[in-house]
Amino acid sequence: MLSSRLLPRSAVRARSAFRPSTLPAIVRTYASSSEEKDLVIIGGGVAGYVAAIKAGQEGMKVTCIEKRGMLGGTCLNVGCIPSKSLLNNSHLYHQILHDTKNRGIEVGDVKLNLKEMMKAKDTSVTGLTKGIEFLFKKNGVEYIKGTGTFASENEIKVALNEGGETSVKGKNILIATGSEATPFPGLEIDEKRVITSTGALALEKVPESMVVIGGGIIGLEMGSVWSRLGAKVTVVEFLNQIGGPGMDAEIAKSAQKLLKKQGMEFKLGTKVNSGDNSGDKIKLEVDSSKGGKPETLEADVVLVAIGRRPYTAGLGLENIGLEVDDRGRVVIDSEYRTKAAHIRCIGDCTFGPMLAHKAEEEAVAAVEYIKKGYGHVNYGVIPSVMYTHPEVAWVGQNEQELKSQNIPYKVGTFPFSANSRAKTNLDTEGMVKMLADPETDRLLGCHIIGPNAGEMIAEATLALEYGASTEDIARTCHAHPTLAEAFKEAAMATYSKAIHF
Amino acid sequence: MFATRALRQAAQAAERTPLIRFIGKHQIPSKVDHTPQPHPASPTGALPGNSHSTFSSYRDHAQQHGPLRKTIDTGRIGSQPGAKLGPVAAPKGMYFDRSELPVRFRRAPIEMSEIEAVESGGAALFG
Repeated sequence: MLSSRLLPRSAVRARSAFRPSTLPAIVRTYASSSEEKDLVIIGGGVAGYVAAIKAGQEGMKVTCIEKRGMLGGTCLNVGCIPSKSLLNNSHLYHQILHDTKNRGIEVGDVKLNLKEMMKAKDTSVTGLTKGIEFLFKKNGVEYIKGTGTFASENEIKVALNEGGETSVKGKNILIATGSEATPFPGLEIDEKRVITSTGALALEKVPESMVVIGGGIIGLEMGSVWSRLGAKVTVVEFLNQIGGPGMDAEIAKSAQKLLKKQGMEFKLGTKVNSGDNSGDKIKLEVDSSKGGKPETLEADVVLVAIGRRPYTAGLGLENIGLEVDDRGRVVIDSEYRTKAAHIRCIGDCTFGPMLAHKAEEEAVAAVEYIKKGYGHVNYGVIPSVMYTHPEVAWVGQNEQELKSQNIPYKVGTFPFSANSRAKTNLDTEGMVKMLADPETDRLLGCHIIGPNAGEMIAEATLALEYGASTEDIARTCHAHPTLAEAFKEAAMATYSKAIHF
Repeated sequence: MFATRALRQAAQAAERTPLIRFIGKHQIPSKVDHTPQPHPASPTGALPGNSHSTFSSYRDHAQQHGPLRKTIDTGRIGSQPGAKLGPVAAPKGMYFDRSELPVRFRRAPIEMSEIEAVESGGAALFG
C-alpha cells in the first residue's frame, strides 16, 4: 500500500528533474519514465546480454544497461575471448619456433610482431561485440550505455555515458554486474608493470621476466602466453597444487610437469608477503606458506591473478536494502530472487563459480523463471577448461573430493600416447581420466589433459547431465581416427578394459 | 579366445539396457513450489532477507556505534566463568571473615555506656 503510493511520486520527481536538462531529443526517447519495461537488466556481460536476447525472444519488453560502451562484459572484452586469441596465436608462434623440423617443415627467420598479434585479438573482440549489438536489434532489446543505480525497487536511474541522466522502470529487474580482479594488498595495480589479466592482454612489449601471483587458470593461461612469446615466467602459488581447487590432483601434477617443460617456473606452497615497485624491477618478498624460507623475487612485470570478486559498487543496493554476503555476493534463492521477489541476480556477482557458461545458463533460467515460472541449471555439471597447451578440462567431481566424501569410485584412464590421431598430430601428451560408481558404472567425473580437451569435455558433460554410465559411453560408436576415441577408450578402461592400451 | 569373448560381449550388448533413457519432450511440472529455497551454490544455505544462518554471522554484520567487537578480550571481567575462580570454602585453618573465627578472636561487644561516653566526649562518665 505504502510503496504503491510512493512509486508514482518518485516518478513525478524524476520527470520534473529531467525537464530542465538540455539533453538532445534523441536521448529523451530513452527516458521511458511513462512506460514500464517487462525486464530491466543491469549489465551487458554474458549474463546480461544472454538474458536480454532470451527475454526478447520470449516477447518481453526489455532494456539492457551497460556502462563499458561495449557489450559482452569481461568475457568478450578483457577475458575469455581476447585471451584465447593470444593463446592460439602465441601457441602457433611457439610451435613454428620449436616444433617444425621433425614435421618436415623448414622455416627461416621467425619474428614476432606483437602489435599485429594484438590487432588480431582486437578484430576478434570487436567482431563479437558488434555481433551482440546486432542480436539486440534483431530481438528488440533496448540498449542504454550508462551506469545504472537503484533509485527505488522498480526504478533504475541511469547516468548516461554521453552525459545526462535518464531513468527506467521495470516490472522485473535483473542484476548482472559481474566481477573484477581481486587486488593484491600492498601492490598498487597500474596495468603497466603491476597488472591484472586486463593488463596482461595489452602489454606493449614482451617483458624479460614476469612473476604471476596465483597459479589458477587465469594465471597459468596468461603466464603461458608471455612465456611462449619469450618472457621468463615464474608462477607463485600459495597452495601445493596448480589449477585451483577443482582440478584433479593427478591432472594438476602432470599439467605442472608439461608447463615446466615449456619453460615456466613454479613456486608452490609459497606466499607473497609484500611487494615493492619503486625500483627498476619489481621486488617481491616471498616465503614458504608455512614460513621459514624467505626469498626475494625480481621481475619486470607482476601479474596479480589471485581471483576475482563480485562487483556491485555504485549499484545502490543499499538504497533498496538488498544484502550481500561476507564475500560481496548478492544473496539469492534458488530462483535467483533477492529479498525483493521481482529483483533477480545472476552471474559472477552472486553464488557459484565465476564462469561465463554458468552465467549464460543462469540467464536463460532466470528469464524462464520470470516468463514460465520454471527453469533449470545443474550446478553439479558445469565444465571447466584451462586453455594452456595441452588443454586441461574437467567436469563433475575429482578424486580428492570423492575421497573426502567417502564416495566409492573406480578409475579408468587412457593416455593420448596410445591414440592414433594424437600420434599423427605428434601431440601425444596427456590422458583422459574417468571416475565412475563401482556398482552402476554411472559417470561421476571426467578429467582430461591433452590436445582438444576443451572440446572433448562437452561429451563428458552431456553424459554426466544425462546420468550415463561409462559403459553407455564405451558402447557409443566414435569415429576413427579421432582424439575422441581416447575418451571412449577411457570409458572402456573404467568399466572393463581399453583395447589399445 | 578373443572370438568367444567378442561373442559373449555381443550377446551382452543385445540384452543390455543403457542407463540413459529417453524421457520424452520436456514439460513444465503442473505444480511448482515457488517458496524461496536456498540457492544450490550458496555456501551457507542462506536465504535473501534472512541471510544470517548463525548468530555469529549476524554478529559479524551487526552495527552498534560501529561494528561490534569480534572477540572479547581475555583476562578481564567476565572472561572467565565463576566456577573457574576456585572453591567457595576457605582452605583449612583460614577464614574469609573475622566472625567465623573462634570466639576469643572476635571483637568484644560494645556496651551502651561506652558508646555514650565516646559520643559525649567522656562527659557521660561524670554525669
